[in-house]
Amino acid sequence: MAVQRETLEADVLIVGGGPAGLACALHLASLIRKHNESGAKPELSAENIYLLEKGREIGANQLSGAVMDPRGLRELVPDFEKTAPLDTPVTDDAAWFFTSSRAWKFPITPPPLRNHGNYVISLSKLTKWLGGLVEKTGVNLFTGFAGSDLILEDGRVCGVITDDKGLDKNGKPKSNYTPGYELRAKVTVLAEGPRGSLTKQLVSRLKLDGLNPQVYSIGVKELWEAPEGRIAPGFVAHTMGWPVPASMYGGGWLYGMQANRVSVGLVIGLEYADPLFDPHEAFQKYKTHPFIRRVLEGGKLVRYGAKTIPAGGWYSMPRPYTDGALIIGDSGSFLDAQKLKGIHMAIKSGMLAAETILDALVKNDASAKMLAAFQERVNASWAKKQLWAVRNFHQGFAHGLVPGLVHAAFQQITGGRGLVDPMRTRAGYEAYAHLDGRKPPAERFKGDGKLTFDRLTDVYHSGTRHDDDEPCHLLVSDTNICIGRCTTEFGNPCQYFCPAAVYEMVDECGERKLKINAANCVHCKTCDIADPYQIITWVPPEGGGGPNYEGM
Amino acid sequence: MNIVVCVKQVPAKDAPLAIPEGAAWIRETDIGFELNEPDGYALEEALRLKEKHGGEVVAVSMGPERSKQAIKEALAKGAERGVHISDDKFYELDPLGSARCLAAAIKREKFDLVLTGLQSDDHGFGQTGVLLAELLGLPHATIIMQIDAADGRLKLKRELEAGWFQWVELPLPAVLSIQSGINKPRYATLKGIMAAKKKEIATLTRAELGVTVSPTQRIERIYVPKKTKKTEILTGTAKEAAAKLVEKLKHEARVL
Repeated sequence: MAVQRETLEADVLIVGGGPAGLACALHLASLIRKHNESGAKPELSAENIYLLEKGREIGANQLSGAVMDPRGLRELVPDFEKTAPLDTPVTDDAAWFFTSSRAWKFPITPPPLRNHGNYVISLSKLTKWLGGLVEKTGVNLFTGFAGSDLILEDGRVCGVITDDKGLDKNGKPKSNYTPGYELRAKVTVLAEGPRGSLTKQLVSRLKLDGLNPQVYSIGVKELWEAPEGRIAPGFVAHTMGWPVPASMYGGGWLYGMQANRVSVGLVIGLEYADPLFDPHEAFQKYKTHPFIRRVLEGGKLVRYGAKTIPAGGWYSMPRPYTDGALIIGDSGSFLDAQKLKGIHMAIKSGMLAAETILDALVKNDASAKMLAAFQERVNASWAKKQLWAVRNFHQGFAHGLVPGLVHAAFQQITGGRGLVDPMRTRAGYEAYAHLDGRKPPAERFKGDGKLTFDRLTDVYHSGTRHDDDEPCHLLVSDTNICIGRCTTEFGNPCQYFCPAAVYEMVDECGERKLKINAANCVHCKTCDIADPYQIITWVPPEGGGGPNYEGM
Repeated sequence: MNIVVCVKQVPAKDAPLAIPEGAAWIRETDIGFELNEPDGYALEEALRLKEKHGGEVVAVSMGPERSKQAIKEALAKGAERGVHISDDKFYELDPLGSARCLAAAIKREKFDLVLTGLQSDDHGFGQTGVLLAELLGLPHATIIMQIDAADGRLKLKRELEAGWFQWVELPLPAVLSIQSGINKPRYATLKGIMAAKKKEIATLTRAELGVTVSPTQRIERIYVPKKTKKTEILTGTAKEAAAKLVEKLKHEARVL
């Protein structure tokens, strides 16, 4: 059935309302204002910038730890400290090593983990505030609209198709069916966050891959309200060791925020060998460590969330420009994999993209040749310097924690070079080892309901919401693999890596099959990344769906 | 047909609600807000009536600055204008106070019909629409499942209990409370959202409306109900368990 779509034309179309996309919009609107004020031709308008955000409002799908390096934000909004919701400056900052019952403080906080001058923030709140600034400039912010498909004509990106609304679970139109728009733009900016669905399409179709494939970590987080006096606002602890096996990359965090709020979470590199490893369960165990327990016990879980983090760094960066498009933020691998900080770089990449786009609009040329200036701007910026210094960091952990740390120390003294440069890596899912007859656990982690929780309780606290009657947005290309090879080889890791209990292998009338609880999805993209056969494709559900990360 | 539709902004359904100790209302920081779902049905019905009979739809809301978002949503879906009764302390109002403010603002409009949702998802009084009709001196019907308008009169289908319906007729102008589920609300479109930016939202205050209200009721305290449900699993053979169950029903639950 050919769908009749309405068409809209913009100068610039930004897909994604996170720190990168919003920074790009805000900076571009400000450059356009200055351009017009100078009397230069052609006259441009911020109203011809469209920004799509799949979340029901700006900030709804934004999740991070987060300790923010304010460098990017200071460049974007120089007086940000007056109005931005920053929660609290980092006051006490230390790194810890955990055994199952003890915590050892590193005598000196390693330089990459020093956070003096940084802020503990809620990324959701910060982006909501940024969204307000963007809206005032006249930029058209469309919340609840996803970029579903690229418009690619002769290898040139010409815009995107937005999500179809009002389809039932079989893909049939309901009475309020509204087909997606064909949004055409001179420049399309992909700012979709980690593992963007359009970015994935574009990179593979135009072969924009970096030297290394992108590798990811998953971060699982809870926001708590702790009893009075347990933790000071601005207290920041990063931990290594238990419960993450030494063969794996991972670590935890505990941050004190205003009003007894506590951010606690665990990051796990998605390149582990054990297909039955469950990051959510590891995080629940993490909270039972005396160091964490003594803060949280007796408190209340407020919110839960999970999100992937692009950890590949400089060598995993896709070529960030092509005819008619730029890739920024987490989608473009703008994240310091050593510090696990990306907000400042997302903002910077958005600003550099904005500068490039202004030139392209003025010269009315959005060819790859013209947009290559983005790469040059990145190369000349502090973002490159920071990424370059840790360009081999994550790769060093391929053989576990200790070699990784030793290698990191080498890089520290060699300016990022380390032992081998460039150090190659492989996609994380290639690391799974076969089960070889090992049986999956008979029972899943249940939690005590007070300090630790099962996945469904946590999913409830993510505030995630999808229409029950809409097409499944997790496309599995061959479910025969699930019930066949995957069961014997890997024991269906989708049941374990998904932090939102989306995937279940069930027996129905004696027939084993894959059940997808798509409504639970928190949009972390882990399945798209960590599936051993790469047969799961995450596509955006109907706009407005997904988690509600208020305060996260 | 000129239609006024009352829309309220309420805390998002999945918002993590926090109640300060001894407070009479939730802490409003850190939570999201959305259009009251029942009002979404009233809005959709207003838009459909307008599309059939011509005229305009005016969306009226009351609350702090943020509540303008509910009006913007109505404008994006096709309402022509908005009226915002700006009031930071509107949560102190009881239904009569709310209805007085709304009535004062609506009296300034030239309208044939006023639609409200059945109730709000936060306070859930379900009285504002009824009181509004009384204050405006207009006929009123609740739980409306179908509206047929012709020759200045309305034929209305009301939902009763147990699968029963009732048809009533009213003259215009009138006030109706719309039953949730009467229609399937439309989505806002990109064009609608852009057009809404250029639509007018008039702002009024309680003082400008000349409304003074002294609440006739107030909320003493809100709290999360204590969990009192207990589950106990009876062990033993079926016969033993059944015997234990009878004991418990007799002596603990005292229902036998």
